[in-house]
Amino acid sequence: MWWRSPSFILDRQQQQEQNDSVPPESLFLTSAAPSMADSLQNPKSNISAYYQTRAAHHGVVTSDWLAQAQAAVGRHSDDDDSSESDGRAVPTVGGDGVSGKAFSVIEEFNNWRKQPDLAEAVAAIRALAAVIRASQATTMMELEIELKKASDSLKSWDTTSISLTAGCDLFMRYVTRTSALEYEDFNSAKSRLIERAEKFGEISCKARRIIAMLSQDFIFDGCTILVHGFSRVVLEVLKTAAQNKKLFRVFCTEGRPDRTGLRLSNELAKLDVPVKLLIDSAVAYTMDEVDMVFVGADGVVESGGIINMMGTYQIALVAHGMNKPVYVAAESYKFARLYPLDQKDMAPALRPIDFGVPIPSKVEVETSARDYTPPQYLTLLFTDLGVLTPSVVSDELIQLYL
Amino acid sequence: MQDIQALVNELVYKLRKRKMEGSDTSAQLTVELLRSVISQQKMSENQAASLIEAVREIGVKLIAANPVELAVGNIVRRVLHIIREEELSLMAKAVQGMGVDDEHNNGVKDNDHVAKILTRSPSLHSLLDSAKTSSNSKGKADKIANLKLKNNVLEAVNYLIEDIKICHEQIAEQALELIHQNEVVLTFGRSRTVKNFLLAATKKNRSFQVFVAEGAPKYQGHVLAKELAAKEIQTTLIADSAVFAMISRVNMVIVGVHAVMANGGVIGPVGLNMVALAAKRHAVPFVVVAGSHKLCPLYPNNPEVLLNEMRSPSELLDFGEFSDCMDHGIGNGAPLLHVANPAFDYVPPELVSLFITDMGGHNPSFIHQLISEHYSADDFNLQQHTAS
Repeated sequence: MWWRSPSFILDRQQQQEQNDSVPPESLFLTSAAPSMADSLQNPKSNISAYYQTRAAHHGVVTSDWLAQAQAAVGRHSDDDDSSESDGRAVPTVGGDGVSGKAFSVIEEFNNWRKQPDLAEAVAAIRALAAVIRASQATTMMELEIELKKASDSLKSWDTTSISLTAGCDLFMRYVTRTSALEYEDFNSAKSRLIERAEKFGEISCKARRIIAMLSQDFIFDGCTILVHGFSRVVLEVLKTAAQNKKLFRVFCTEGRPDRTGLRLSNELAKLDVPVKLLIDSAVAYTMDEVDMVFVGADGVVESGGIINMMGTYQIALVAHGMNKPVYVAAESYKFARLYPLDQKDMAPALRPIDFGVPIPSKVEVETSARDYTPPQYLTLLFTDLGVLTPSVVSDELIQLYL
Repeated sequence: MQDIQALVNELVYKLRKRKMEGSDTSAQLTVELLRSVISQQKMSENQAASLIEAVREIGVKLIAANPVELAVGNIVRRVLHIIREEELSLMAKAVQGMGVDDEHNNGVKDNDHVAKILTRSPSLHSLLDSAKTSSNSKGKADKIANLKLKNNVLEAVNYLIEDIKICHEQIAEQALELIHQNEVVLTFGRSRTVKNFLLAATKKNRSFQVFVAEGAPKYQGHVLAKELAAKEIQTTLIADSAVFAMISRVNMVIVGVHAVMANGGVIGPVGLNMVALAAKRHAVPFVVVAGSHKLCPLYPNNPEVLLNEMRSPSELLDFGEFSDCMDHGIGNGAPLLHVANPAFDYVPPELVSLFITDMGGHNPSFIHQLISEHYSADDFNLQQHTAS
């Protein structure tokens, strides 16, 4: 366990010495604007950019939360002038990534990822395509090195985002794989790469539709589906089922702290699907009525397990305990080369949690945004590669990265 | 074409009236029918496409005749896969600029690699460069290639027929490694594969004991017990309800099944799930023997309802015994006594320890791999294709 190990305690002490300016009270809610110095030097210790974006896109923000967030922005506004409207600062480390030009891959990526409909991996690949376009390399090798640098800087900018890493890896894999680039002409190879990258957005949308189609056989009339968090794929699945005139009802968990479940229930109510909202702790209470659990995934790891929003693991455990199938809907570009051994075996992705009341500084708050669900608690994964059992995921990953 | 139609109708009739015993027989008959369909198919511009269309049309008919007999659908998909593979290997040959009238064996080896790339089911590899292969040299196929294709397909189908015929023996070859001296094996119902498997284990003077659960309501265990005893295997016949009582003395459960689903679950004779649960409770290995024609690329979404068959109540009750309370005509018109006689049981993959197929032993999670080797993803849903 990393938090018990002496090295971790040492690290924390050192870190606290470093940012003495940030008082520990800021743990419980600061955080719409993370302190600038921090996000530049050590993005890891900071609030997860990925989960921040998610919350901004899918979360339902209460008014008091907003007020506090705005106050926090105000407090820090003098020292971070480059801060964006959504409170995210854009560090310009991209400069060292792309040979000192004005172009920054991270800026590009942030521009793309502001679109709520665009998946993170798509944004990453689009950003890398922009690198190719801006590049002045004259050989494939040069281009590859440039891309590698750009993708490394992207990856290290937000280590908490699995789909960012997976997207970068996938694209790099595509670039370096020789069979895709049998063109003698460098320029045609370059334009081909750019074209494929642009098309990736379409591929991602198509993947969602394929998943929705595959999962229709599994949703039968009269079933009750428990959904956790807000996932675009799961929404697409349920939307398609509703369009196919299936009769089913959905239980949405609230999805604290950004209340993504409220957003999903809102969307489902628009589709005239019967929805019931549950608080996160009511999962076991309602599980006997549930026929299947449907979740999305932030990342699918090599063991076949998934990394997803906090609370997925306990829902999967309850479902397994009551013999209910747990289905995961995830696009294949979320497959990541990770093998977490336990919950704490990942880079912590932290996010602010609003308790509504001030928390005394001595009380520690668990701010992790995600958990790992081991494969034995998952029944099937619906991906655009087909319906897979968890063990097939590792097969796919090995085939790609061997 | 006329006689093909007659053959199809005959098989459809047999399937619909449940005149066939066992999935081996239906697999055999289906593949033989499809072979004659292919051999009588007329030459056309796009031979492969027309072959696929013809086979699929007949396949849809056969499946509709008895949707529960999954082996029929499996064989149809296998044959479709063979056609697609042969087409691609020919195409690959054409792409490579080699003479199509090369010797067959030679060509297969060379083109193995190319064909493999082309036939791959969707994967992370091809995620970024999709829709690239389809435009390749469709027009190159000429008459010689068509003839070649048909011959190759027929040859491969003949191999398939041979495979189905000898799959029992191939499975039985592995018996000596699994069954050891003085072990106690429990089996359920009657399966030809299990019988051959057990008989093969008696070679080298290996002696072991077999418990046979009788397999109500068909009581086919009685037949198996008789057959085994005739071959001088020490056999004990037990009632189905005695399985749990006996399981603690058993070293291994070996059963045959009706179909193996894509997730590694199996569909077997009714009562099999009970045996599997008992085996799980006492940590006894639950081994399933099945030929590769029983591999089904479908998922059992809701197996209790979709993939079952209700058989005649006469297997449970003699006619006349309860006929007055089952009669619709008396009283308010509703029968007082219902008889449910499902034919199949679904055993989830968690309860299966090992699959023995003609390709060796496999973990339940490996079944997916076998299926992606034997079928193409385009054929999983035959009906949908005709609709679109």
